[in-house]
Amino acid sequence: MTITSSPLTDLVHVASLRGASYADARRVEREHEVVSVKDGAVESVTRTSDRGIGCRVLHEGAWGFAATDRTDEAALHGLIDEAFRRARASASVQRRKVTLAPIAPQRGEYRTKPARDPFSVPLAERIDHLREVDAKSVGPNIKTRRSSVAAYRTQKRLVTSEGTDVAQEIVETGAGLSVLAVKAGRKPASRYDSRLVRQAGWEYVEHLDLVARAQRYRDDAEATLDAPLAVERPTTLVFAPEFLALLVHESCGHPTEADRLLEHEVAFAGTTFMWPKDRGKLRYGSPHVSMTADATVPGGMGTFGWDDDGVPAMRTKLIDKGIFVGYLTSRETAGALGVPVAIGSARAEGWQHFPIVRMVNVSLDPGTTPYADLLRGVDSGLLLEAPASYSLDEKRQNFHFSTQSARVIRGGQLEGYVRGVAFQSLTPDFWGRCDGVADDWELHGFLSCAKGEPLQLMRVGHGAAHARFRDVPIEARE
Amino acid sequence: MTLLGPDRILTPLQEALRGSEADEADIHVHRRRSAITRYSHSSIHQNAVSDETRATVRAIVGRAVGVVSTNSLAVGDLRRALADAAALARASRPDDGWPGVADPEPFGSPQAFDEATGRADAAAQSGHIARVVARVPRTMRAAGTHQIELFEDAVANTRGVAAYAPATMAYLRALVLGETSGSGYAEDLAWRADTLDPEGVAERASGKASLDGDRMRLEPGEYEAVFEELAVAEILRIMSITGLGGEQVREGRSFMSGRTGEKVTGERFTLSDDALDPRTVAIPFDVEGTPKRTVPLVERGIARGPVYDRGSAKAAGARSTGHAADRSRYAPGGHAANLTMAGATATREELIGAVSRGILITRFHYTNTPDPRAATMTGTTRDGTFLIEDGKITRALANVRYTMSALDLFAGIELLGPQRLARDWWSSNGMGSIVCLVPPMKVARATITGSSPL
Repeated sequence: MTITSSPLTDLVHVASLRGASYADARRVEREHEVVSVKDGAVESVTRTSDRGIGCRVLHEGAWGFAATDRTDEAALHGLIDEAFRRARASASVQRRKVTLAPIAPQRGEYRTKPARDPFSVPLAERIDHLREVDAKSVGPNIKTRRSSVAAYRTQKRLVTSEGTDVAQEIVETGAGLSVLAVKAGRKPASRYDSRLVRQAGWEYVEHLDLVARAQRYRDDAEATLDAPLAVERPTTLVFAPEFLALLVHESCGHPTEADRLLEHEVAFAGTTFMWPKDRGKLRYGSPHVSMTADATVPGGMGTFGWDDDGVPAMRTKLIDKGIFVGYLTSRETAGALGVPVAIGSARAEGWQHFPIVRMVNVSLDPGTTPYADLLRGVDSGLLLEAPASYSLDEKRQNFHFSTQSARVIRGGQLEGYVRGVAFQSLTPDFWGRCDGVADDWELHGFLSCAKGEPLQLMRVGHGAAHARFRDVPIEARE
Repeated sequence: MTLLGPDRILTPLQEALRGSEADEADIHVHRRRSAITRYSHSSIHQNAVSDETRATVRAIVGRAVGVVSTNSLAVGDLRRALADAAALARASRPDDGWPGVADPEPFGSPQAFDEATGRADAAAQSGHIARVVARVPRTMRAAGTHQIELFEDAVANTRGVAAYAPATMAYLRALVLGETSGSGYAEDLAWRADTLDPEGVAERASGKASLDGDRMRLEPGEYEAVFEELAVAEILRIMSITGLGGEQVREGRSFMSGRTGEKVTGERFTLSDDALDPRTVAIPFDVEGTPKRTVPLVERGIARGPVYDRGSAKAAGARSTGHAADRSRYAPGGHAANLTMAGATATREELIGAVSRGILITRFHYTNTPDPRAATMTGTTRDGTFLIEDGKITRALANVRYTMSALDLFAGIELLGPQRLARDWWSSNGMGSIVCLVPPMKVARATITGSSPL
């Protein structure tokens, strides 16, 4: 083989000639800039870039994958050799062959269209903005203040032996804020957000109004520091969209990943409690609860033109009026389950990673009730604004969450704070207590959903609105 | 990937640094071949290898710092990265806490490197998995991972630091599931692939799976408990990420804040960070080029102090202990990643035999910390949770949720077994990077706060 100006096409062509029943080659280039400020001073200014090629072959019914950041001819020859060696080794310990659900060949381009490219914003402007934000975080007991802005660009091209050839450029912009309040004799109080990220340009940072947000986080942390301990009892909880985004991620997104059914993740990430026999029958939540996977949501961190199988962006229902109805699938998992690809969710973090089933944008569908009306329906309860610690079992059924900020609701109005609030529950029991979802749906983004071996940190999106849950037993801990 | 070795890595770094316009600069290089074979239903389903290089360049201009990373070691690319980093620094603001780049110091010889392990190929990995699968009873199925890592790290800076070390890691895990029973888990971790024991791993995991039938739910409460090595490693991880770094202590977030020299837990608990132990997987210097030192963290229950990188050491008026971590994964401030917890000689039978009524915990899943300052961990158990009565395992239990301060847990240590190399759940797939030499232990009291369904 002589590598030409189109090494991806060459790699796939050679793999086919050598007997691969399917092959793909994916080139990915990533760049990333982060500016962070701590306590008024620049903490770091970082620019990261990497690029490389990954090649996947299906041979003797088994996968082999090899990736390199070298692009010389010898390295690319070695890539094919190594992918075949890996496939043959896989085939030597195999009881069921891989079959891929069919898709039509795809061609085209997908690009994020930022209003203002975040990489073009002068560093001085970014630093000055963060210092302004930092100044608003200062408070009498605030010990540590951090803020950051980040820009990400990913360019990738995928060529497959079935005729797919697609190119994508994705630009993302995000911000982070955190304050830590410390006072003698009190438990430290943190307020932070690292999920303010969107497939968009600098305009998203402006939309966030970090200055106002910083003041709010400072006030929350200061108030939580001196707040009374919550009372342990079954309580009506209203969750802010920011909190629910994580609950949806952990308790619906993960258990509907179809590779968990095949036990691909059983030794690490775990399995699920939502099995094929339960589809259309299992009551996951109350009739107020519907959830959708959608790779087409504008601005979503799980939005793309095609997944890394080359499947075009789609949307599908996962939970319909409380009933479990769908999975996130790849071509391989759909093939194993004998179903068509309902949504392409095969995604790889970078060129060095094998695509596995990941979330796209998985969201709680909005309701029709205004948020104020939802609150008015609470005589006595708590508004939980943002998660702190969270922990789940390997089936995504038994979970424990604590909160950074818990506000007291009395007579439908917010008044004061309590501290130390946490709750543990079982997924269907928790979502079964939902008696209302507001209409104030908003989109959140996560940068680092962890799954796979070697670890892959995936960008995913989650939309949610305020929602109300009745009689949730809460814990109160110092 | 073949190792480049010290000269082929350090020479381009030094050449690039010679032309730097910055006041100071350093470059950390991490090259890695990661080969992972994953299996489920006793069948390999994923088989991937990747070769990658990352060079992280820091340039300092007038105490302002710029950082650029690239995956090329070509001198021209490194020079470009240095120039870009210097440009970022010039556009940035001075860091009054900047401690300067490291001075050259001798460091220990690399010990965690085995050439044969670095050469292990796809067939060798699938061969180990075939041996696991062959040893698992026919009524059961196995899933897991075989991983070989070959890596080399190097640091060079404008003060003359020139450090290089290679390392290898070999890892085999098996989760065995029965058709009518639950699951059992075992793993081996080492820096030599020839010390992995596929049959032993299969038998340990199968043995637990065969016991995991007819589960019962345990009522929340306080129980005597035996924590196996992986479960203890999980607790140590929580201590590390919440309280063993110099910056955490300075900011008041650590259990050690204001308590150095005080008794914080029981006398049977002694913990150090020791990257120089020949049994562990480690590079003998950190990403700033400072030699790693052995740091006593807690001695017989008394807090002795944290680990430091250069920045947190300067802020505390201390000296770096060589614990600067990969900046792409950990916040600055010192990271304890080679934990050694003192053990003793109790056998597994003795640990279990000492329990009147309690539980045995094999490992945890997805732990977190609702109260970092108290090093409190919550998490559910998995793949081998058993009721112990009168010194014997009597029943399988549905997974339980454990929530407790590590300090309270370790205050109740009654017996310790011998140390073993292990990683917590997060580190086992690379989300963390902590490696522990850790014993199993029998404790007087573990707090169980809930149970998963049967």
